[in-house]
Amino acid sequence: MNKLSVNLRVNGRGYDLEVASNKTLLEVLRDQLNLPDTKYGCGTGECGACTVLIDGEVVNSCLTLAAAADGREIRTAVGLEKNGQLHPVQQAFIEETAVQCGYCIPGMVVKSVGLLEKNPDPSEEEIRHWLEGNICRCTGYEKIVDAVKSASKKMASAEVKAVG
Amino acid sequence: MGELNVVGKNVERVDIRAKVTGRAVYAADMDMPGMLHGKIIRCLEYAHAKVKSLDFSEAEKMPGVVKCLGPDDVTSKTYNQSVIDLMASEQEAEWMGDIEEQNIFTKHVKFYGDGIGAIIAESEEQAERAAAKVKVEYEPLPVYLTPEQSSAPDAVQFVPEKPGNRAFQLPAEMFPNNCLGWGDVDEAFKEADLIVEDRFYTPKQKQCQMEPNNYIALYDDEGRLNCWASCQMPKLAHVKLARLFEMPMSRVKFNQTVVGGGFGARLGLVMEPEVCALALAVPGRPVKIQQPREEDWLSSPSRHPSDYWMKMGFKKDGTPVAIDAISKNFKGGYYLDGSALASTTGFWLQGMYKVENLRYRGESYFTNQPVCGAYRGYGNPQTNFVLEQIVERGCKELNIDPLEWRKKWHKTVGDNSWIGFTQYSSCALDECLEKGAEAIGWKDKRAKYENQTGVKRRGIGLSVGQHTSGAAPMILEHTTCTVRLNEDASAELLLACSDLGQGSHTTLRQIAAESLGFPIEDVHLNVGDSDANGFDIGAHASRTLYVGGNAVKQACEDAKRQLFERAAKKLEANVEDLDMNLDKEIFVKGSPSKSITAKDICEVGIYNFTNPMTGEANGEAGQIQSYVSYMPDHNSPPFFCTFVEVEVDMETGEVKLLELVSAHDIGRAIHPAICEGQMEGGAQQGLGMALTEEMYFDENGKVKNNSFTDYKMLGASDMPKMTNILVENPDPHGPFGAKSVGEAGLVTPVGAVANAIYQATGIQFTEGPITPEKILKAIKEKEVAA
Repeated sequence: MNKLSVNLRVNGRGYDLEVASNKTLLEVLRDQLNLPDTKYGCGTGECGACTVLIDGEVVNSCLTLAAAADGREIRTAVGLEKNGQLHPVQQAFIEETAVQCGYCIPGMVVKSVGLLEKNPDPSEEEIRHWLEGNICRCTGYEKIVDAVKSASKKMASAEVKAVG
Repeated sequence: MGELNVVGKNVERVDIRAKVTGRAVYAADMDMPGMLHGKIIRCLEYAHAKVKSLDFSEAEKMPGVVKCLGPDDVTSKTYNQSVIDLMASEQEAEWMGDIEEQNIFTKHVKFYGDGIGAIIAESEEQAERAAAKVKVEYEPLPVYLTPEQSSAPDAVQFVPEKPGNRAFQLPAEMFPNNCLGWGDVDEAFKEADLIVEDRFYTPKQKQCQMEPNNYIALYDDEGRLNCWASCQMPKLAHVKLARLFEMPMSRVKFNQTVVGGGFGARLGLVMEPEVCALALAVPGRPVKIQQPREEDWLSSPSRHPSDYWMKMGFKKDGTPVAIDAISKNFKGGYYLDGSALASTTGFWLQGMYKVENLRYRGESYFTNQPVCGAYRGYGNPQTNFVLEQIVERGCKELNIDPLEWRKKWHKTVGDNSWIGFTQYSSCALDECLEKGAEAIGWKDKRAKYENQTGVKRRGIGLSVGQHTSGAAPMILEHTTCTVRLNEDASAELLLACSDLGQGSHTTLRQIAAESLGFPIEDVHLNVGDSDANGFDIGAHASRTLYVGGNAVKQACEDAKRQLFERAAKKLEANVEDLDMNLDKEIFVKGSPSKSITAKDICEVGIYNFTNPMTGEANGEAGQIQSYVSYMPDHNSPPFFCTFVEVEVDMETGEVKLLELVSAHDIGRAIHPAICEGQMEGGAQQGLGMALTEEMYFDENGKVKNNSFTDYKMLGASDMPKMTNILVENPDPHGPFGAKSVGEAGLVTPVGAVANAIYQATGIQFTEGPITPEKILKAIKEKEVAA
């Protein structure tokens, strides 16, 4: 298989890599960069367990060739924590007990961050619509939706504090 | 009971930080030096065939290939991948007819996707490429997709022990005339004013846990076989693997990795035998198998589909006089829990209503479909779909309010439970029904939705259920727990109870902290290590909190007693006069200055230095440790109900889920948010079983929808508005009064949504899932008939 030289920026760190042209971003994150927080759930873009942010857009990393992410800014669940502080979305998932088996959660957290960066004050309907494509088999989505709502409020009040 | 410090509080889940950051390590995330990769070769050409030849010559030449294995390259010993057979006595197992007929790789393909061999290679990609080069010659056999087909007189026999391909029927040794029940059903029907009878089909639903099946095994230089897997029942997997590979259990180590969901799919073994067989072929090198999602539908057990007939007789005033039922379960290609499932489906039936006469016959038949085993509810959702619709029709014909009927006729404290020969110890179903009805506005909506016209019609439905808390006294119940107090008076618990995501490691830790009187931070659970952990059955039968919780409670109370006995000696007081605060100071009640810390006692026990001047010990010697091997003889089933409101589009057949209210009599909520989580997640699966979820086959037995696009589960925006009510009515046997909640959440949404659709459309749907196609077809047929 052809090898391509790429520069991936993942969670703020740059990696110069040789990647096979047929490798997906998910495979490269997990197998080459040893970042297993992004999960394989179906490999066909149906479950969302592999969701990452590329330049702020939510993407199924199992459907994205690693080479196509060359030079772009990638964020995954493990990179959301800043200076030992969890992201407000992660904190809200903990407070709402929105996690059971946890396998879909890195993707859910990243997907939710992607929503709140675009739409800081989403309605419940908007949250539920946005989360379509990310499957959870444990929670019935109830506490996940609650967590996104709560994170939205937290982030808004943090913003007010920062401005004030 | 005094004030509780930890129990009943929504403490932070022990696993949750690792899960939200993505740092939790699942089996797929593990890497080991020198690791090889395995690929199982599955038959994707036929659902029923003999393997005539398996040719590895081309595969062996592929780059990176280390070994190719066929049926003759691994142990010829057979096994049963389920673990239910381990839980019955030898006599019972013989009566039940449990068999071990599975091979690691088969020469007789029994379903589409059956495993016939494997490749071991340096990389996953190389293993996959080599697998594609394996040449297989098959002799196709006729495909049987229903019990009717497989039990035909000329059908190919799956195993010699099961003539007519009947894998199971209730054994006459235990159930006279192969029937469960009591009274004289045939006589009773003569007295009935109304008889409701129908034949139902309940679908082959898949658990669809989000973590695919991944395994690592290593046959190490010490001659030990190590296996890493997210199995629900690590200790039973441990013994099964030791028996299969004929090794002492001390030479097999089972490591339970973080479990990414189970719901029954990982109740016994899935691909643990295969990965261990591969590891034994390459001593010293770990082998990893990562399963593609599309194979999950093929290789791990699903819910049993069933052909379920039921007849129920009523008096004019609603008195139920008799129930007669036959459930024929589709077994798939292998036996697994053929006996248990067909039995429990009837147990849930006999546990629900006060009826003078009941007869149930349960059978299982082999079919050429992927295997069926445990799935959350274990026959209960099937019975709920059938029984609750039959009751609903009876109430409608007799013009009786279905809520009032259920209040009047459900079993309660003192009545024979689902087990048949023990009595319910607690029941708060009436309170559940009252609170649920009020929350959803049952009375007004029920009246309002009668006799609607128009395109969009609403309906509200109700269903009740009862489940189990553990498997006693039917089959084995046993959990061991060891508690050790460290020298700083923190506690280490060794136990094998599984957390599949349901939160049991958090709730068991709460019970431990409460029972010890320690802050929760001072308690750690050492789990998932078969070398360290004693016996436990594992996660099934909604048992972990109820049985494991009592084991933990007893062991911790014993450790606390030992601590207090030592303190009493030091303080020259009676044990009964002592108390402990959250700083772990043990003091004499009423004279708090007379105190000693738990740390002082534990430290002296371990560092038992003597006074150099007197030669006397500084206190009692020995690390405080307690151990219980807990085998309960009781069971405290939870009761519960669900109300569902729907809107049906009469032109498209679409069902919109508007609202769901469930209320569960859970005894006591150890962690309310975790309890609600079980009910919410259960609702997603129960509503899915009723409305969208089924594995479909073509006429050749090929699975048509093994993907998340084609196997539709309800998404975030499909779910209704939900209210989940916890009714706390402490049970005399449960730990702190708790009963189970794990499986129950799935059960009653199934019947409730069917009954809501019945009210909206005036049509009962006997075949699940109730898809828009079926609804539209039935509406049209009704119009034509009118």
